[in-house]
Amino acid sequence: MASKRIGVYICHCGVNIAQNVRIDDLRAFAAGLPGVRVAQNYMYMCSEPGQEMIRKDIAENRLDRIVVVACSPRMHEPTFRNAMKSAGLNPYCLEMANIREQCAWVHKDADVATAKAKSLLAAAVTKVSLLEPLEEREVPVTKTAMVIGGGIAGIQAALDIADSGFKTYLVEKDASIGGHMMQLDKTFPTLDCSACILTPKMADIKNHPNIELLAYSEVTDVKGFVGNFKVTVKRKPRYIDENICNACGSCAKYCAIAIKDSFNAGLSKLQALHIPFPQAIPAAYVIDPLACRYTREGTCRQCEQVCKDLNAINLDMQEHSIELDVGTMIMATGFEPFDANRKPELGYGRYENVITGMEFERIVSASGPNQGQLLINGKKPKEVVFIQCVGSRDKTVGNEYCSRVCCMYTAKHAHLVREKLPDAKITIFYIDVRAFGKGYEEFYDRVKGEEVYYRRGNVSEVYRKGDKLICRGEDTLLGQALEVPADLVVLAVGLEPSPGARELGQLLKLSKSPDGFFLEGHPKLRPVETGSDGVFLAGCCQGPKDIPDTVAQAGAAAAKAIIPLAQGMVKTETMVARVRAEACRACGYCVDACPYDAIALGEVRLGRATKTAAVVNEVLCKSCGACSAVCLSGAIQQSGFTDDQLLAVIGAIGKEY
Amino acid sequence: MSSFEPKIVAFLCNWCTYAGADLAGTSRYQYPPNVRVIRVMCSSRINPAFIINALLEGADGVLVSGCHPGECHYTSGNYMARRRLVLMHRMLEYLGIHPDRFRMSWVSASEGAKWAEVVTEVTEAVKVLGPNVIKREQVWMQQSL
Amino acid sequence: MQDAYERCVYLERLGLFGCVQCGKCTAGCPINYVTTQEEPFNIRRLVYDVLNAPGEELASEKHFLWQCTTCGTCSLRCPKDIKPRDVVMNLRSILVEDGTLPPAIRDVLKSISINYNPWSLGKEKRAEWYKGLELKDASEAELCLYVGCTPAFDSRLQKLARSAVAILQKLGIDFGIFGTEEICCGNEIRRLGDTWSFDALREANTELFNGCENIRQVMTLSPHCWNTFRNEYPGLKAEVLHYSIFLARQLASGALKPAKEFAKRVVYHDPCFLGKQNEIYDEPRALLKSIPGIDFVEFDRNRENSLCCEGGGGRMWIEIEHAPERLANIRVRDAVEMGADVIAVACPFCLLTLEDAVKAMDLEGKVQVMDILEIINTTI
Repeated sequence: MASKRIGVYICHCGVNIAQNVRIDDLRAFAAGLPGVRVAQNYMYMCSEPGQEMIRKDIAENRLDRIVVVACSPRMHEPTFRNAMKSAGLNPYCLEMANIREQCAWVHKDADVATAKAKSLLAAAVTKVSLLEPLEEREVPVTKTAMVIGGGIAGIQAALDIADSGFKTYLVEKDASIGGHMMQLDKTFPTLDCSACILTPKMADIKNHPNIELLAYSEVTDVKGFVGNFKVTVKRKPRYIDENICNACGSCAKYCAIAIKDSFNAGLSKLQALHIPFPQAIPAAYVIDPLACRYTREGTCRQCEQVCKDLNAINLDMQEHSIELDVGTMIMATGFEPFDANRKPELGYGRYENVITGMEFERIVSASGPNQGQLLINGKKPKEVVFIQCVGSRDKTVGNEYCSRVCCMYTAKHAHLVREKLPDAKITIFYIDVRAFGKGYEEFYDRVKGEEVYYRRGNVSEVYRKGDKLICRGEDTLLGQALEVPADLVVLAVGLEPSPGARELGQLLKLSKSPDGFFLEGHPKLRPVETGSDGVFLAGCCQGPKDIPDTVAQAGAAAAKAIIPLAQGMVKTETMVARVRAEACRACGYCVDACPYDAIALGEVRLGRATKTAAVVNEVLCKSCGACSAVCLSGAIQQSGFTDDQLLAVIGAIGKEY
Repeated sequence: MSSFEPKIVAFLCNWCTYAGADLAGTSRYQYPPNVRVIRVMCSSRINPAFIINALLEGADGVLVSGCHPGECHYTSGNYMARRRLVLMHRMLEYLGIHPDRFRMSWVSASEGAKWAEVVTEVTEAVKVLGPNVIKREQVWMQQSL
Repeated sequence: MQDAYERCVYLERLGLFGCVQCGKCTAGCPINYVTTQEEPFNIRRLVYDVLNAPGEELASEKHFLWQCTTCGTCSLRCPKDIKPRDVVMNLRSILVEDGTLPPAIRDVLKSISINYNPWSLGKEKRAEWYKGLELKDASEAELCLYVGCTPAFDSRLQKLARSAVAILQKLGIDFGIFGTEEICCGNEIRRLGDTWSFDALREANTELFNGCENIRQVMTLSPHCWNTFRNEYPGLKAEVLHYSIFLARQLASGALKPAKEFAKRVVYHDPCFLGKQNEIYDEPRALLKSIPGIDFVEFDRNRENSLCCEGGGGRMWIEIEHAPERLANIRVRDAVEMGADVIAVACPFCLLTLEDAVKAMDLEGKVQVMDILEIINTTI
């Protein structure tokens, strides 16, 4: 093996690295390591002059291996690979030593940090001298996207992708798209009617030639990788053919089974055979199999008789699964309101005039159970109390985060109460009012001016005294506990991840942040990407957010999801497993270890003879290296992480410098 | 013994723990400098021989850390690592090495603080055990006496 | 500098840095109900003060620290999982260390060191409650009946201890007592801030219990004793149960079957040390509901919303001056309004405070306070 010509480049990262690691010591140390021809340092290696320094040395000193001693390779590996590529060097002959995140930022003592940096640098030089050039490959992309979740996030993302000319599947678990936004009465701070601004978009979904809506369906399995996902979608039987049903509603008149109306937050009833709400898309009825007399007891079938002419109803419809090929996916699984029963001291579930924010939305909505009249037990409430931060900023229920929308929706609710009940006494208990969005502070000011009493402090308990509820809180600005009587108490419940999102996240190998929402690729710079290439996040599945932020994020996710579709090709993994057939004993351990079925035993030619050996499908291989760890003969090796390379690194790290 | 500063080799998967260690850095969590990180793509890449080798080559302790169960970037690599490496403890005992010199942990990309905790715990635990006597240099030193 | 550092450690241990001053602690605090506007007991304010001033300075000014019943509502309601109650206990420790104590508290702590009970009575007086009963020594049985100081000495509560004996005997359970060797559990002592005496009691009790190999379970009459045995005695080998849990298990297994009618309207008052602090809500209710003929009703403020009776945290020995109204009175009045004949309790302190309230309000004959033990004993 010809001796390698290595260049070592140490970054100061301004003062980030330089203040805790002695750069000059490090450079002198690097220069003395075997194979190192050039050792340089620079203020910002990632800057254009820094990269140019590397390119120039490659040309002038005929360097064939580069070590960059700087930040995390998760940050700048692509930057330096590109620099090497443009200088004509194979980009995989690069190794980075991470002395910022692992030395300078976590050890204050410069001696300690420098000593550790030397050890990491020596390991990187050792590894780089053993690296081999690798080839990049590309495979074609299935030019189709899938969006999971049909709330405002999913609707917006699907429309944006479809508008740019790519076929899009929109998968929704419920019988209609619309999500929680459809349940809202008004939106803050403009007081737009929520349904009025949402339904045109829902209609667009239905009419868009590039969108295939899969309502009442769930994703049950995902295989493959960016550009070539294979997704299994379970289509639940709705017992009414959505393509035939004209939503005339004649059948529902004959259905005598009543169920809770979940669209109205359980405040009213509807039939087992129903349309979720009048503007539903698909505009078709559905039968709840858990309630329908026929699916439960095997008798009835009255509805089928009513629909004899159209023949849209088929009570023998079965659940089935379909498999779809897609190139990229967007998660838009949304949120679930916090279950107020978990804060028993606030009386939810015990007193019927304690309700949640979502229930309030339905009560005041013109399409709700009271046709928009604010009535509690048939009477107009005289005193209304709002309690904020229910299930948010609350460690005892495991939700440390702020839900971001409750302050503003409570202000909106207070305004709606004032509009409907000019004489009501309205009190809002709050810890901090977070009115951060455009026009929000102004709206908060407006509501305060409408004789709404904001009390700084929160309610500890709600109990009954005569026919009133007593909300006992402290006004912390006065330093006095106070008891506010109420006829109606509205709990500003926070947002939690959708219950089904967890399983789905595991299918797609998405990480969660400690709050339980999906983790974005980078908190600042990759806000819609995920750790899984080709999977993007939109809306509240990534964290609580209001409608404007959700729509903006959905657009961003759509743009990101379009990129591979527009490029038409994606790079496959480079650091794939390779087999040295002469050493392979065809035991098949690697075949079992591979999570991607990328390895099979097959006949290979060795000179003039043939032999059975492991064969890697390099398109399927995702570069995890599990196969290499189980191989007893060292025949299968993950490129860039071979046994030789890793053992050499272990040896280098073990030494004292 | 209190001045003993152990050397600990840590194999971290690229997607969870390595990212978590990056976050610990970004968040400026301070932790003991005894751990040296070797990045691999997945914890399933770790061959038991690497662990023995690290102990022979100068490490006083070894840590393998990956994604939480159910969150592996490669679906099931961390399960594979766990199955394989749980046996490691018994093998170390058989070899006459204190099993506490080897440890596995799960640290996600969002758990910077946990990474700092894990490093601190591992360092303390290995400190208690004292220097690893099967290091090659140690064995040679004894032979030359 | 070192002081500042130690102060930081102290505040961090109490977790106070996360406080957002929401006031849920003060609003839930039962003592805030009964202190006056001029001199309020405001636990939220106390946390704020501790964050901004060294504890020593603070403690000396806060004579109202002795008003807290340590019921734990503040800690239960805190959304940031801070334990404001521990701040009170901490500041009380500072006062105990300084020796600046109200005379009544000083007597209690003195009695603990001399008599191993808070009631300034000689240990031979512990024999009074079981006069005429033939009971085994605790070392000879699997179950130890731990009656605790107040039921052993107080003439009203001695009935409670004897009811427990009667029930265990009727159930045919092999049990014993420590008799005059029994010593205070230290729950109230710790809550009064005397961590030094508490440590001594804990060591003595641990040695006493662990020294008897036969003992596998300990049954306490008071949730206060149970609380400290359960949560603050890490070295105890035996399983310690409040009697409500022990008897609820007997009920579930079919061994305990209340057969005689108890045809009265009964309302149950949750003791803080059983309910709010240790989340035992269902067992006492199961026992009461199993009684034939009972008309079981609930207070509006029940379970985690229950109102403290002001008997805990050392409040057996110290009175709030100028309080507008006792909480026990509110409780009794609510019970009478509901038409209850009996207020059932599962705690000796609750029994005393509520009975005092009945007497003070001249409601004797109208409503009666009984421990669940006494009720169960009349039905089997």
